[in-house]
Amino acid sequence: MSGVSLKGIIKAYGAVQVVHGIDLEVQEKEFVVLVGPSGCGKSTTLRMIAGLEEISDGELTIDGRFVNRVAPKDRDVAMVFQNYALYPHLNVADNIAFGLRIRKESKETIASSVDEVGEILGLTPYLDRRPADLSGGQRQRVAMGRAIVRRPKVFLFDEPLSNLDAKLRTQMRAEIKRLHKRLGVTSIYVTHDQVEAMTLADRIVVMHDGRIEQVGSPMDLFLNPANTFVASFLGSPPMNMVKARIVAGDQGPVAEFDGQSLPLAQIPALQNSVGKAVTLGIRPEFVTVAANGTPGCVNVDVDLVETLGSEALIHASLQGDPFVIRTETLGHLGMLGDISGFTIEPDLIRVFDAESGAALPGQGTKS
Amino acid sequence: MSSDPNFTGQSTESLVTEAKEALRRRKPGRIERVGDHLKREWQLYLLLIPTILWLLVFLYKPMYGLQIAFKDYSVFRGLAASPWVGFEHFQTLFGNDQFLRALRNTIYISMLSLIFGFPMPIILAVMFNEILHQTFKKTAQTIVYLPHFISSVIIAGIVITAFSPSAGIVNTVMGWFGLEPIYFLTKSEWFRPIFVGTSIWQEAGFQSIVYLAAIAGISPTLYESAVVDGASRWQMVWKITVPSILPTIIIMLIIRIGNMLEVSFEMIILLYQPATYETADVVNTFIYRQGIQGGQYDLAGAAGLFNAVVAFVLVMTANTISKRYSRTSLW
Repeated sequence: MSGVSLKGIIKAYGAVQVVHGIDLEVQEKEFVVLVGPSGCGKSTTLRMIAGLEEISDGELTIDGRFVNRVAPKDRDVAMVFQNYALYPHLNVADNIAFGLRIRKESKETIASSVDEVGEILGLTPYLDRRPADLSGGQRQRVAMGRAIVRRPKVFLFDEPLSNLDAKLRTQMRAEIKRLHKRLGVTSIYVTHDQVEAMTLADRIVVMHDGRIEQVGSPMDLFLNPANTFVASFLGSPPMNMVKARIVAGDQGPVAEFDGQSLPLAQIPALQNSVGKAVTLGIRPEFVTVAANGTPGCVNVDVDLVETLGSEALIHASLQGDPFVIRTETLGHLGMLGDISGFTIEPDLIRVFDAESGAALPGQGTKS
Repeated sequence: MSSDPNFTGQSTESLVTEAKEALRRRKPGRIERVGDHLKREWQLYLLLIPTILWLLVFLYKPMYGLQIAFKDYSVFRGLAASPWVGFEHFQTLFGNDQFLRALRNTIYISMLSLIFGFPMPIILAVMFNEILHQTFKKTAQTIVYLPHFISSVIIAGIVITAFSPSAGIVNTVMGWFGLEPIYFLTKSEWFRPIFVGTSIWQEAGFQSIVYLAAIAGISPTLYESAVVDGASRWQMVWKITVPSILPTIIIMLIIRIGNMLEVSFEMIILLYQPATYETADVVNTFIYRQGIQGGQYDLAGAAGLFNAVVAFVLVMTANTISKRYSRTSLW
């Protein structure tokens, strides 16, 4: 089984610890994305898996083999770097063949492998060109070609699409996904772009300050964030956070804020939290816009409406904090100027402890 | 009413305004564009002036004196009044055994310097790059850079002392093995190795800085990628470091080839003596002896001009070849 297992992985530079005991099991053929803001330790973790950084403490196993002190070349991993790491003096074919030549594969094997990879990645017409003569997307494909030609047990991607423009990024994202489906190789992918994480991953690992905040499927993390950090990191625009207090209502728990109220889901954790200060997490796309006087409507102060074609973003404020609503333009176009608030289903509101930021237990929507 | 069919009824004032507007909108001419550019960037050109003046005074004005090579120069008549003699001095030079010997020696010493001296800074730079211990690296670099900052006179003094038959370290070490002392600096067969060795010792370290700078520009991810691919340090040197600094190597080689006939004049003057002229006398020392010591300025001028023309041809050829085969060139 070519999975990767991290147990209590720590990275320290002298007295400064940057990765604080990470536990993660990556299953065979799984596509796992490490996502988080800059400096959260995701690239360091990936580099420790590759063997480019020494592991200060903990256990790393690849394919069931303890590899903490195994040289990178003997870990049977291949890595794709952010800036492609192509050799400028070699043409595409020689770049792809580099790893095979180092490993002294036969000329026939090298030639057939390069041809095969060139075909998979659509690089056959460019095999004689040097990297300087290629576009950003083509260079990234060559970098991937270098990785896949060795048929490693694990692919490691370190922000491979960061240097590409938005359109090319979307295109390459789809290509990486297709490639993973075709090759079925265990892949660990690092990015700070939550859209990349959501679209590519079988499972997402959200990291913050050298720790794992939550691991789960993209939709699970989107719908049921474990804390306010994950809630506000995933999703574009991010989840709205509203400070509130839980009170007992006629039909169950109710969140009160700014002289307004919102009914909450009738689950024990919320029913038992009456009087507690909480933070409500409300996804911009889960609310329904409401005009003046709509019953159950939470009023917001609308600052700006951005029309994006099929949808619109309504930038408003609630209790002085920004509050964004995402709504379909179709059917609402006439009332966009008349919006004064929103309504939301109680099940779609996430409730977090105001102090720790952790989600109160028992909430959840199946993805 | 005017009888002119082109008359449109516009006033003279509006016609003038229109003409001025048209003048403003027309595409500016080359001179105007240069003028606009100078107006915009005059500060940069101001900064250039000292360098241009230096070039004019020290490199271009002396070119006027090149005519000395084609004249029967007399210090009493002056350059302008001295009579033209055409290529007479060049004919004399190529009929002069001493000049031909000097030319032969120059080419020989230059080739030796190129073969042994040119790769040395590259090797040093690559070796420095491989040193991981920072203190050791800095100490080693300082030690090899140091000879460059020592005057040639002192370097020559060190060499003369080191190779002295009585107290020199070389003869002392040879003595430990029972070998007879050799007076190296009076033996013509030893002059070239000693000279080339001294040049390498004095300059290789300092010249390695250019290559170290080129190595510093190589993306570290190229090495990381190679490490993951399984490359050894030796393979990384050959497959990443050396090819990555190849454009710099080629540029330095072109410059070096251009300066091939400019063998270190001071060092030869300081180290050679009549006993070693056979292998040590080069074009520059010949010019010095004929021109300054012998007062034959015109003949020395012809030899100097010949030197410059050969250097020009060499650098042009090297640049053209390099441009054609490696996409790298000086211009």
